[in-house]
Amino acid sequence: MSAFEINSAALLSIRGLSKFFADIPVVDRVSLEVAPSEIVMVVGPSGAGKSTLLRCINRIEIPSEGEVLLEGVNMAGERRNGKLVADPPKAAARKRRRIGMVFQRFNLFAHLTALDNVAIGPHRVLGAKLSDARALAAEQLARVRLSDHVMKRPAQLSGGQQQRVAIARAMAMRPALMLFDEPTSALDPELVGEVLEVIRSLADEGMTMIVVTHEMQFAREVGTRVLFMDGGRVLVDAPPREFFASQHARAREFLRRVHAVPAA
Amino acid sequence: MGAFDWGAIGYAAPYMFKGAVVTLEISLCAMALATLVGVVMGLISVSDLKVLKALVRVYVYFIRGTPALVQIFLVYFALPRIGLELSAFMSGVVALAFNSGGFIAEIVRAGLQSIDSGQTEAALSIGMTGRQSILFILLPQSLRRITPPMTNELITLVKTSSLLSVISVFELTRSAQLIMAERFVPFELYFALAFYYLVMITALSWFSEYLEARLA
Repeated sequence: MSAFEINSAALLSIRGLSKFFADIPVVDRVSLEVAPSEIVMVVGPSGAGKSTLLRCINRIEIPSEGEVLLEGVNMAGERRNGKLVADPPKAAARKRRRIGMVFQRFNLFAHLTALDNVAIGPHRVLGAKLSDARALAAEQLARVRLSDHVMKRPAQLSGGQQQRVAIARAMAMRPALMLFDEPTSALDPELVGEVLEVIRSLADEGMTMIVVTHEMQFAREVGTRVLFMDGGRVLVDAPPREFFASQHARAREFLRRVHAVPAA
Repeated sequence: MGAFDWGAIGYAAPYMFKGAVVTLEISLCAMALATLVGVVMGLISVSDLKVLKALVRVYVYFIRGTPALVQIFLVYFALPRIGLELSAFMSGVVALAFNSGGFIAEIVRAGLQSIDSGQTEAALSIGMTGRQSILFILLPQSLRRITPPMTNELITLVKTSSLLSVISVFELTRSAQLIMAERFVPFELYFALAFYYLVMITALSWFSEYLEARLA
């Protein structure tokens, strides 16, 4: 094992990651190591840079500075003679598919059935035969309890059902890491539970995940770790029990505002 | 003013019918070529191929900024200069196709860009390349939005084909003009001409409506 190999305990390493929009740092020098099976809950006020951090991890947003390594592989490119050579599109896509992502607005492919939303990745990206991809998709949809809805289009599904299809779509690619970007923020209150239940079951199976959420109860119960972000920086990084008892002034203020702790 | 000369319309009918067939042939060939050219250029417009994209911009700029009549003459007189001897019929097809192709490129580009960016992000997140996401996600979704403006453009193409009479393609307008020169009944024949075009374009509109309903 060479001295340059990174800490093998970390599945994901983020080093000095920043993202600027018009010179304003939305994510500001974030460093983070995530071990396999960790459930990282990212909380904080809106505009804190939580979603942008998530989007920089799988490079849907290209970071301005810093690097992201998944299983020791640099997401941006390869080092040759000390210089970073950017990946060509195909290599970038191959790396990106190791990271699943679930969006606030579901983003299901509007022209495809639930079944084909899940099957299209294995079929078009992994090269599986359409019949095999559909069989796999049916399995994934059964896991999120949507077997009765496989032939429906996204417009015929409730928000909670759409989000569960989106989770199945991401899981069908067998990712090493799952990113959830406020997965329940666009849902009617009565539909939040069914989506959180699915995420909780993935956590129980040992899936490594980073979840941006406003559901404090969920973060407390399911998270193995809570990151509190504000102004693009990670201000608190602690186990849930510690975080919710945190004496950090901004964190206290945030928790009070979301009524996660009683007013002083 | 004399009575309406129905006899002239009857006399012209076999000629104009032949002309109409040629107009249909030219239009269908040009539509196929224009759609191919337009879709390819529309896809290039939303891709990351910088040089090709710039060429498409220049092309669209030229097509939009010059009259179709001038473009037809340019194709007819310019191509032989570079050693490409095309028949009047083929020159017509090429001129119409490249004229329409420029507009179709813009229709396709607008259609693709009107799809929510979340669709592209989702496609990328499951490991598709930019090209795959355009082909498998954006293009199928934009088809329905593209159909109405595309129909307009193809209708324009059929009508623009009447300009090919100036390079003596024996199409519908030319056939009517030849009979006019012989019988001196311009009003009757232009009246008939309008009717022939209306019939063709009505058929095209119906087909488009059928397509739009199917794509829903």
